[in-house]
Amino acid sequence: MERTFGETLLRVDHISLSFGGVKALTDISFSIREKEVFAIIGPNGAGKTSMLNVINGFYHPQEGEITYKGVHRKQMKSHDAAVQGIARTFQNVALFKGMSTLDNIMTGRIIRMKRNMFWQAMYLGPARKEEMENREVVEDIIDFLEIQAIRRTPVGRLPYGLQKRVELGRALAMEPDLLLLDEPMAGMNIEEKQDMCRFILDVNDQYGTTIALIEHDMGVVMDISDRVVVLDYGKKLADGSPDEVRANQDVIDAYLGVPH
Amino acid sequence: MFQAFFVDPFIMIYDAPLFFVEVLVSGLMAGVMYSLVALGFVIIFKASGVFNLAQGAMVLFAALTFVGLWELGVNPWLSLIISALVMIGFAFTVERIVLRPLVNQDPIIFFMATLGISYFLDGFGQTIWGGEVRPLDIGIPNEPFMDLADMTGLYINKFDVFSAVVCSLLVAILAGFFTKTKIGRALRAVADDHQAALSVGIPLKTIWTIVWSVAGIVGLAAGILWGSKLGVQFALALIAFKALPVLILGGFTSIPGAIIGGLIIGSGEKIAEVYWGEAMGGAIEDWFAYVVALIFLLFRPQGLFGEKIIERV
Repeated sequence: MERTFGETLLRVDHISLSFGGVKALTDISFSIREKEVFAIIGPNGAGKTSMLNVINGFYHPQEGEITYKGVHRKQMKSHDAAVQGIARTFQNVALFKGMSTLDNIMTGRIIRMKRNMFWQAMYLGPARKEEMENREVVEDIIDFLEIQAIRRTPVGRLPYGLQKRVELGRALAMEPDLLLLDEPMAGMNIEEKQDMCRFILDVNDQYGTTIALIEHDMGVVMDISDRVVVLDYGKKLADGSPDEVRANQDVIDAYLGVPH
Repeated sequence: MFQAFFVDPFIMIYDAPLFFVEVLVSGLMAGVMYSLVALGFVIIFKASGVFNLAQGAMVLFAALTFVGLWELGVNPWLSLIISALVMIGFAFTVERIVLRPLVNQDPIIFFMATLGISYFLDGFGQTIWGGEVRPLDIGIPNEPFMDLADMTGLYINKFDVFSAVVCSLLVAILAGFFTKTKIGRALRAVADDHQAALSVGIPLKTIWTIVWSVAGIVGLAAGILWGSKLGVQFALALIAFKALPVLILGGFTSIPGAIIGGLIIGSGEKIAEVYWGEAMGGAIEDWFAYVVALIFLLFRPQGLFGEKIIERV
């Protein structure tokens, strides 16, 4: 089936980022279209996570421009990014460990809850109704991710694979337009990977969420992505469909090495 | 020895139950005052996972500002409002200058930063308002309710009751403010992981400013109540250390814990002093709280109401 995409949702132009003398990203440009599954791949230290951090405003690039939903910016601010519909997960799982699965996912609703402090403090009237409505959204997500059994468990106790799933749930609770996934399948076994792939594709399919992901498992990347960009040493090597990228000589060299 | 520890005290309690009630009540009232100081710590701990060493200095500074303004001839209610505003301004300053550059640093870094704030505030307050002891009389007499005493023979101090009422009000407001709602959840999230909190759009700066403001205002209340008991002086900053055992008992993250902890420590140390003091050679009120805290650390390090400590290895 032919997949159709919308307009460009996010475009980065000539982004360069350095920490002191270390150049993390050099002159990176690409664009992500609405509704596509976009993958950023590359060897370790290629700058993939830095790229995600630039997109959601954790890092501020020295040069370049970010265009999100048609608005040009020199840099994103993390709070703006969240409010504007950019959600993310982290390579090393950044959950609120002492809180239950339910509470963790509820934090994703904070920016969607509008009632002011006063009503909140009283926990009555409109605020109470709002809490209920948001709770329903979260319950739907819990059903979707098939984690009903662990709703009340503090996430610090969960195995790694489930933690990654909860983290995805928290990001989904924000009802994002753009979902950034930093190695969503790292450290998982085959079954967990298959589940995660299914969730990612379902999110993309059911909610029309645009997804940008970093992943090391080439089989997975090539299967689920519509487009792939390859980074190496902070520079862009290639950009295109999985098949084009697979055939690109620079990419093969970067991954397999070149004979000297 | 056995007689003095395990028999005599209970005979004393049995012989004069009314006196025991008086000791208990005065202990509970003192406990409420400890709770008030502990509350300031809990609020900041909840939102940053850090024990704020400057809480004692904030109590002193707030009280000094209040008394200082009053002595300058400002109406006491107006001084109260101005002092509260000063504490809010202080919160903004701390967030901007100290906390913001430290996002994503380890808790120990924040801890050291609060030590710095504490030294600064101690010195700054005394530079502006002077270092001498200032008496503070807020018009609540430090005497028992005579009617009650005449009728039942029970001596209950008016000032103690007043401070208990103030504390209860503050606690009720704060408990409503910080639990069950998105604010409570946001606070815990911020304390747990800055980066993750930012990624879901929790405004870190706003949260920090709010909690430091609230801690400052709680500090003001504590400072005024303790100040009218002891006089406004440097020793107020040291009361913070009395809050430490309260926190260990109640759990650093729990508002009800701070209250119950304060009540247990307050009544415990009074009762221990009156009934067991003699057998132990006196003055056990000074260290009793810390020993209780130590015992708690052995058996229940997260405190009565603290969050469970979970570490997956």
